[in-house]
Amino acid sequence: MSRFLIQRPLPHGGRLVERVVRDPERAKKMIKGCPTYDIKPTLHYESEVPVRNVYREIMSICYGFFSPVEGSMCQAEVERILKERRLLNEWIFPYPLVFDISKDDFKKLGVGSGDRLVLNLKGKPFAILDIEEVWEISDTEELADKTFGTPEDNPEVVREKFNKKHPGWVIYKSLNPIVLAGKYTIINEPIFRAPFDRFWYPPRKAREEFDKRGWRTVINHQTRNVPHVGHEFLMKNAAFTGDLEPCHGILVNAIIGVKRRGDYPDEAICEGHEAVNTGGYIKNSRHLPTICLWDMRYGNPLESLLHGIIRQNMGCTHHMFGRDHAAVGEYYDKWSTQILWNEGIPSFGFPAPPTDVPYGLEIRPQNMREFSFCPTCKEMAYSETCGHEREKLSGSFLRGMVAQGVQPPAIIMRPEVFKVVVKWWKHFNYPFCNEKYVINKEKELEVDLKDL
Amino acid sequence: MADYFIDVLLDEGRLQAIKDAGLGDNIKYRFAGELKLVEVHVSEDTKNKILKEFDTARTDSRNAITDVPVAFLRELYHQVVKTKSLGDEAVEATLAKVDEIKDLAAKESEYLPAPEID
Repeated sequence: MSRFLIQRPLPHGGRLVERVVRDPERAKKMIKGCPTYDIKPTLHYESEVPVRNVYREIMSICYGFFSPVEGSMCQAEVERILKERRLLNEWIFPYPLVFDISKDDFKKLGVGSGDRLVLNLKGKPFAILDIEEVWEISDTEELADKTFGTPEDNPEVVREKFNKKHPGWVIYKSLNPIVLAGKYTIINEPIFRAPFDRFWYPPRKAREEFDKRGWRTVINHQTRNVPHVGHEFLMKNAAFTGDLEPCHGILVNAIIGVKRRGDYPDEAICEGHEAVNTGGYIKNSRHLPTICLWDMRYGNPLESLLHGIIRQNMGCTHHMFGRDHAAVGEYYDKWSTQILWNEGIPSFGFPAPPTDVPYGLEIRPQNMREFSFCPTCKEMAYSETCGHEREKLSGSFLRGMVAQGVQPPAIIMRPEVFKVVVKWWKHFNYPFCNEKYVINKEKELEVDLKDL
Repeated sequence: MADYFIDVLLDEGRLQAIKDAGLGDNIKYRFAGELKLVEVHVSEDTKNKILKEFDTARTDSRNAITDVPVAFLRELYHQVVKTKSLGDEAVEATLAKVDEIKDLAAKESEYLPAPEID
């Protein structure tokens, strides 16, 4: 065997976290006599629209996407993350993850350390939280600032002070003050609704699927968008990285969660990526669109770190990162994700890239620039190799075109993908997420639960 | 040279109106000629006004102002033809109707007719 062959990495932390009880009788015994709490969405601290639902974090933790995290974090762990982006067990991790409730709810519940709390979702038992610590967030704004950084503390990459126009900052600012810290366990597996059900590949299943397909090397494409041809070329070309041969598989992992107005609906994003392979633009046998539940924090380099963790846990060997990765606005330098993976960001606890620090990641970053249409080459061309003036593609330009009912030229959006956009446009009476979609989505969520 | 711009897409009807307004030389042909548009140039100050008026509006990697309501783009096209301008003049005339545009935008955020495609 060649010494250049790359093997699939172990999960982050060395083992995959799986905290799911599949035996209903055992689950019933586990929750007998325990107090219950109905999971509520986190509401925007001013407008009161939903900005997060902790159920998505519970799902991603218990199915192992966030391995080695096992639950809601204690105060010491949150403080360490804010200081060094490390868990108490040393493994790197970017964000505080907490189960927060209001003071009134805490009083009503009357629970404390050592208690087991049953968490209901849509009126049915869903998970348990074994409380190890109860602590209070003294100032959610300070937590939000520290989570994302400031121009003073993180001058390498933070360009503007975060504020209420940043959806991730708003999530932390809007948290309730009381944190119940401890491990989560899902005791009633939710059932994904169509079309999400066929894209649900939690890490163990993803790794099994890679085995089945004979994929040793897999490159991940992060998405929160319906794909245009620029994305398709990014995927196809980044996949040439591999080792002795191009990557065997391209994993598309869509982040599914609270949407911003103007984004495409999650349903169109999943099926839009699927249309890339059903249309034959990337062979089905080399391409797998999947989902992960998470209310995006839009933390650019920090978000890329979480993406690296999720995709390593899913079994990917490579991860492509582009400009303005998981970013919104101009809070971060537009190349800050690539700076993190190229050289590290010392002020965030990374004197070296996340792959080169102790207890770091093994997934290999593939930092890419852009693909756009070259009228001279008459094809999609890479910004660093094509010497002509090119016509830049942007997702928002395409959204503007779609909103005006103009079918994008096939050279920038495949007709099969546009068909998917129109399908969900007809379903929701609107091509993008509007307030109605956001509110309904947070009521209905992506899953249903059976009686236990 | 303006800092930012807004793309106004042109179908056959609009294409003729732009030519009739004497702006034919400014028509740009994108993506192997499959897309026709004019760019309306926007100063930094006017860009800030647009972003303030419409909370979905943003600038993209090309320095284009995007994600503005369709009603804004429609009015901008009319003002380009009316003022025969591809600059701040057309944008300012559009922003003068901002209340009307916001009313239309509120309706369009509930419903936009989907195109019929094969």
